[in-house]
Amino acid sequence: MPARPLGVPLALVLATALVLTLFPIFWIVMTAIKPPTDWNAVPAIWVPAEPTLVNFKTLFDAEAIREYGVGGVSQSATAAVGGSILASVVATALSVLIGLLAAIGLSRYGNAGRATPLVILSARMFPPAAIAVPFVIIFSAINLIDTYVGLIAIYVAITLPFSTWMLKSFVDDVPREIEEAEMIDGRSRLMAHLTVTIPLIRGGLFSTTLFIFILNWSEFLFALVLSYSSINTIPVQLAKYVTAMAGTLYGVQAALAVVAMVPLVVFGFLIQKHLARGMTFGAIKR
Amino acid sequence: MSEFGKQIDSVLESYAEGEIGRRDFVRRMVGLGITASVAGALAGSPLAVRKAWAADIKGAEDRAWALAKEAAAKAEKKTLTLLIPTGSIGNMQPYVELWKNELGITLEFIEEPDEVVHTKGMQEAVAKTGRYDVMMPTAMSYPDWIDSGVIYDLTDWTETHQPDLFHPEWGVVFPASHHAQLYNGRVAGLLNDGDQITLLCRKDHLTDSDKMKAFADRYGYPLAVPKTWKEYHDLAAFMHDPDNKFFGSQEYRSRYYVKWMFMQRLVSKGRLYFDDDVNPTFNSEEGLAALEDMLAVNPYLHPDAFSFTWSSNYNAFGRGESFMNIVWPSGFKYSKAPSTGPGTTGKIAATVMPADTLKDGTLLYAGLFCWGFGYTVSKYSENPELAYAYAQWMTSPTISADAIPYLGGYSDPYRLNHMLAPTQRLIDTYSPEYLDTLYNNMVNTVPDFVLPGGFEYQDALDKEVHACMIGDKTPKEALDDAARGFERITRRIGKDKVKTSWLSLAKNLAEPIKKASGADQWA
Repeated sequence: MPARPLGVPLALVLATALVLTLFPIFWIVMTAIKPPTDWNAVPAIWVPAEPTLVNFKTLFDAEAIREYGVGGVSQSATAAVGGSILASVVATALSVLIGLLAAIGLSRYGNAGRATPLVILSARMFPPAAIAVPFVIIFSAINLIDTYVGLIAIYVAITLPFSTWMLKSFVDDVPREIEEAEMIDGRSRLMAHLTVTIPLIRGGLFSTTLFIFILNWSEFLFALVLSYSSINTIPVQLAKYVTAMAGTLYGVQAALAVVAMVPLVVFGFLIQKHLARGMTFGAIKR
Repeated sequence: MSEFGKQIDSVLESYAEGEIGRRDFVRRMVGLGITASVAGALAGSPLAVRKAWAADIKGAEDRAWALAKEAAAKAEKKTLTLLIPTGSIGNMQPYVELWKNELGITLEFIEEPDEVVHTKGMQEAVAKTGRYDVMMPTAMSYPDWIDSGVIYDLTDWTETHQPDLFHPEWGVVFPASHHAQLYNGRVAGLLNDGDQITLLCRKDHLTDSDKMKAFADRYGYPLAVPKTWKEYHDLAAFMHDPDNKFFGSQEYRSRYYVKWMFMQRLVSKGRLYFDDDVNPTFNSEEGLAALEDMLAVNPYLHPDAFSFTWSSNYNAFGRGESFMNIVWPSGFKYSKAPSTGPGTTGKIAATVMPADTLKDGTLLYAGLFCWGFGYTVSKYSENPELAYAYAQWMTSPTISADAIPYLGGYSDPYRLNHMLAPTQRLIDTYSPEYLDTLYNNMVNTVPDFVLPGGFEYQDALDKEVHACMIGDKTPKEALDDAARGFERITRRIGKDKVKTSWLSLAKNLAEPIKKASGADQWA
């Protein structure tokens, strides 16, 4: 179908939407390069006259911001960044892997009953705050509090319904006749899935991975209640940038937010061509 | 003997042997954290008496240090872990090396946002990890934490090791000594932060001759810091100049903070939160008047008043955007320091919270002791005695006087010696006038909801007051709804339990407030 030229009204609407969407990112980036004197300036300073990297330096060297007379920063973000990477990458990989196996099982063999997918999804029907305390009790009994193993286990548990459902819709979209043709050619069921099903749903796999990664990367509540001092993540760390003499360190928080955006942007960029397909794959139901 | 003790002895010996004069003696003692008045008295007394006095004021510190030594020697785990609110570490960090070098104990700080500390403690009650030794909540956490068994009742330790909590010269100022440390008459925590709200005004505007004349002409009384809430309103209206981005006042209207503005006005009118049978009493004539007062002042507030947190509030005031502000003592520090108060340094006049006129025509001065952190000892600590020793040592009259002035923390004066016989560092940090203000305000403070379910009561009230301020509810609707919320909370927690705790708080109110509220008649 030939592309339809964009009319002026629609272009204006899209431009407005783009500005509204990008404005928070612009504001965060600008705040991240503002010196402390500009964080709360009234009227607001949109673009700092003297941009600085001191907020980024402070993330990894708490003393860096002293050059602006701000003391009392005691938090380094190193452990939080490392912790977020570890917990999110491992939990995403496990969630997508288990979700993929579950999706294929439900889509192709579905002998666990028609209600099974709904039962899996029901795990998402509880507000996280309602299940946080029971998790704390159980995890403390089995020594998983304040450990990455515990945090990853929870992340996998809370994202698995999403990965299963998302991937199931992609698998459903692949005609099973192609897999059967492979099996007629002598491949096992497993090999048929590995060589046919999974490559065909690659776009969906990438978009699911990105979605699950974003969920894990930005998760706050469980990381907060399960952490004492051995584990830390970026969302929890963001809440800790408060000092007695400077109050909330908006610039440092913004710098950490910028750092937190980087992997998502890079990952999204790398899988861009799959992403567009993944977003629409499985949308048309037969 | 601690290094500090040796230093004091050395100064005493030098003075006794004539190596230094009286002036140098006082200066050096003050430098060591001994109050100027005590040091002055020591200089004029026989040496034996001088040593006894010096030992007296630092007795709590010495006893804590002795206990810490003993407990540290016995401890298998050589780390003491503290759960503290973010932003408070600056008052504790200066002593990390001393504890490491002298006792072999590493102090590990786990910082959490202040609104999370209570939840973390309650979480520890079920998780029982033993990860924390010392926990630093506000006094409002004590009842729930004691009842859930997550912290020790410190009474036996305080009786043995005498932290001088109630000492007539350097104890914690009454009634905060009782309201912010005891739960049902037993010691639950040791206060380390004298959080009370006071009123700051811009002195430069008060002394402006044009404004003085205009104000006197309009209101018929001289321009000065407000003594009553009516004067406060007049001043806010008079000074409000939005065209020049200068606002009458900037008290809080934001969620979480706004209840304190209401509670302050309520107690100023001689009303407490409950009667002697824990029925809510704020849904009354006085409560309605308090909300009406707040609504009346809204037009003269800083436009960000509905979204202020403490830090954005301090920043705005420090930039010189408002004439008045209702703040914790750290807010005064902020506005006094050139780095955080570029628009207010040297321009602040502080006063106790304004009085209100009671039905019999008398003026009632009442303050509000709110927030206020303290040290507690975790029941699941491996070294509870060491944890207690740390708490007593840090809050002792001498060490606390040394710790409070560090700008990297938000601990504020709370002992008598901090305000009435301050060290030079305390004076430099706060100014003599403000320390006087703190004392005069603190003696009339009413506590926060230091009750079982305290945070729930507070939140129920906050939600409704805020709804009223943003126009979602009328004052009567808001207070009636809050009262119903209170009744539900009381029923669920247990009326007897709340009542015992409430009467225990009310028993220790300042006499004028007891009399005005009728609490002096309660059994």
